[in-house]
Amino acid sequence: MANQTGRNSSAQARLSQVSDHLTAPTGKKGKDYLLEKHPDDIVVTCALRTPITKGGKGGFKDTAAADLLHGAFKALLERSKIDPNLIEDIAVGAVLAPGGGATEFRAAALAAGFPVTASTKSLNRQCSSGLQACVDIANAIKTDMIEIGIGAGAESMSQQYGPQAVTEFSELLENHKEAANCKVPMGVLSEKMAKAKNIPRSEQDAFAASSFQKAIKAQKEGLFEQEIAPLTVKWTDPKTDEEKEITVSKDDGVREGITAESLGKIKPAFSKEGSIHAGNASQISDGAAAVLLMKRSTAERLGQNIVGKFVQASVVGVPPLLMGVGPAAAIPVVLEKTGLDKGDVDIYEINEAFASQCLYCINELGLDINKINPKGGAIAFGHPLGVTGARQVSTLLTELKRRGERIGVTSMCVGTGMGMAAVWIAE
Amino acid sequence: MLEFRTQGYQGYSVKYSPFFDSRIAVAGSANFGLVGNGRIYILGLTANGIVAEKWFDTQDSLFDTTWSEAHENQLLTAGGDGSVKLFDITLSDFPVQSWQEHAREVFAVHWNLVGKDTFLSSSWDGTIKIWNPQSSSSLVTLPTHSCTYSAEFSPHSPSLLSSVSSDSHLRVFDLRTPASASNHLTLNIPIHTPPKPRMGTPAPVGIPPSEALTHDWNKYRDTILATAGVDRLIRTFDIRMAAAGPIAVLPGHEYAVRRITWSPHLSDILLSASYDMTCRVWTDGSAMGTGNAGMMKQENMLDAQGMVYGGGREMGRMGRHTEFATGVDWCLFGAEGWCASTGWDERVLVWDARALMQ
Repeated sequence: MANQTGRNSSAQARLSQVSDHLTAPTGKKGKDYLLEKHPDDIVVTCALRTPITKGGKGGFKDTAAADLLHGAFKALLERSKIDPNLIEDIAVGAVLAPGGGATEFRAAALAAGFPVTASTKSLNRQCSSGLQACVDIANAIKTDMIEIGIGAGAESMSQQYGPQAVTEFSELLENHKEAANCKVPMGVLSEKMAKAKNIPRSEQDAFAASSFQKAIKAQKEGLFEQEIAPLTVKWTDPKTDEEKEITVSKDDGVREGITAESLGKIKPAFSKEGSIHAGNASQISDGAAAVLLMKRSTAERLGQNIVGKFVQASVVGVPPLLMGVGPAAAIPVVLEKTGLDKGDVDIYEINEAFASQCLYCINELGLDINKINPKGGAIAFGHPLGVTGARQVSTLLTELKRRGERIGVTSMCVGTGMGMAAVWIAE
Repeated sequence: MLEFRTQGYQGYSVKYSPFFDSRIAVAGSANFGLVGNGRIYILGLTANGIVAEKWFDTQDSLFDTTWSEAHENQLLTAGGDGSVKLFDITLSDFPVQSWQEHAREVFAVHWNLVGKDTFLSSSWDGTIKIWNPQSSSSLVTLPTHSCTYSAEFSPHSPSLLSSVSSDSHLRVFDLRTPASASNHLTLNIPIHTPPKPRMGTPAPVGIPPSEALTHDWNKYRDTILATAGVDRLIRTFDIRMAAAGPIAVLPGHEYAVRRITWSPHLSDILLSASYDMTCRVWTDGSAMGTGNAGMMKQENMLDAQGMVYGGGREMGRMGRHTEFATGVDWCLFGAEGWCASTGWDERVLVWDARALMQ
């Protein structure tokens, strides 16, 4: 018998030797390869976010972006139980903060308990800043510039939304047609795009209503609980002007009983004959999110609980006036890079900047509508600009895990005409 | 096209006799070489097609064979049990000699074409061994520390030999160098090094290392070697300027390339057999009048676009195998272009490559 075992194992060895010849050339791509575990995979060991609250009246209306970030950092350290001394770099996406928020985010990191050796930067790629922050950290880990890092996003649209966030264009830029287009307000250009791409208001309203319905259902079933880290903040009651301490643990923009018909009654926001209104565009919101990234080998050495892995990202430019088509441009690129078919992906988290552009991208790519934003999106609970990219990671990975599915894509359109997308795998 | 069926045995290697234009040896293995017996066929090309003149069975799979350069009736086999066996086809049943030193599967055997008194074997155990048929143990052991799929003596010098292995390196050993810690290793060329960028073109992207499965010395240009393997590319190197990277890169095969062999008649022509079930004829672009013609785009090089280098191109392909093509060899005699191939479809095909060349 001993002899037989020997033969079997040698047959196995020969088989794997020959199959290596066949898998290697295409092996770096495709579903099967991506689902394999390798020591140099970039993995997520903790992804969370604060609740997202309504701009100007929600639970975080009196909380600074840096304080929200501080809250997310604290929760991340607590949940992951990672030694803060091991963190080498933190990237924070933020869009509206003056100076990029560089100073106060570094301060927030120190206040949250990171040592002075943990460096911090802020970055701004408009609505994809949060994703860009995660990708920057993942790439720095991949190239061994750092070993462990955090990609994050923080935004207080209550306090920092307004005309001061954009510098006046010089004459030179104003006189260049495509350059000047970068300044056209989102709503106006999305209105134009909805018209040009022929997306009727009825479809936009139906899409927006389903986002609300999915979100309220998910909220009631407690599907957001795992990704949300509740935060206690000071809040001034607008009626009494009394300052109180409240604990926010839910997205407060999610409303019940929204239907396509009820949305149909709202007046368009940007032009009289328009189709875009407050109910089928993303909400103005406050929040923060953070994602802890490292190599699989590091996570295993430290005993960190791996929740998913980052595979690949893509970024693509599109005409500024058609910024809403960004995901339709970026998703095929990331699928091509990873060798995935669009059907291989179990969940697409595509940011709902406007129902019109999100719908356009879904139709253009021919995606299964049931795979899009299963817990609702920015129309239902808000789009704190720099946060969304990092927020999607926690939303996606918890939902994939709950469903027992594996592959997800996060994507968003980016102001001034870009699209970004990334492939993630839940474990 | 002539055909022979190696019923129950999947072909791993085919070799024309250097003495007779009508004699071919084929090494085959039962169960795709995973487990079970091996068989070496001696085939005769007759007016009535291909006939099996003789065969020998072995306990374990056979992965390669080579004819003796000194004795027209003798040939060697490479065994899955680590053995190297010498058979005499005038005798029956048993080998004349068997050497058991390799710790794992032997994947290549090759007779010294110039010295004719030695031969070599290379194995998955990460060594190359040099033998003399009269001696019961190996003369020299050269470590590569990596699963060595292919090793060959130079056809121009009795003391030069080379190997490729799964670590993506082409090694050249010179037995004239004094015995030292380098074990006669004189060159160690990373096969995956991209070619030097040409003026006016972007630098080629880095290619990750991948297992090299086969290589061959050019029969006319004594410093030129071709390699191929899992990354599907055939490359040629000039050992006088090894650091410069490949001098020709030939993309086209859709799966790993299992064997390549230079033409014994034309200095620029190569034949390859691949897991993509095709055998292809290539020029490396070095022959007069063919250079630069190959810079045009080929339809099957989507992935490898921009990698074709050196002006080589595919000249034709033979797609009659219905499983992995594993072995291919040129006939040394007669009109240039006759060749034989074998594969996992249990068939040996004898065909004329000139009919395919365009």
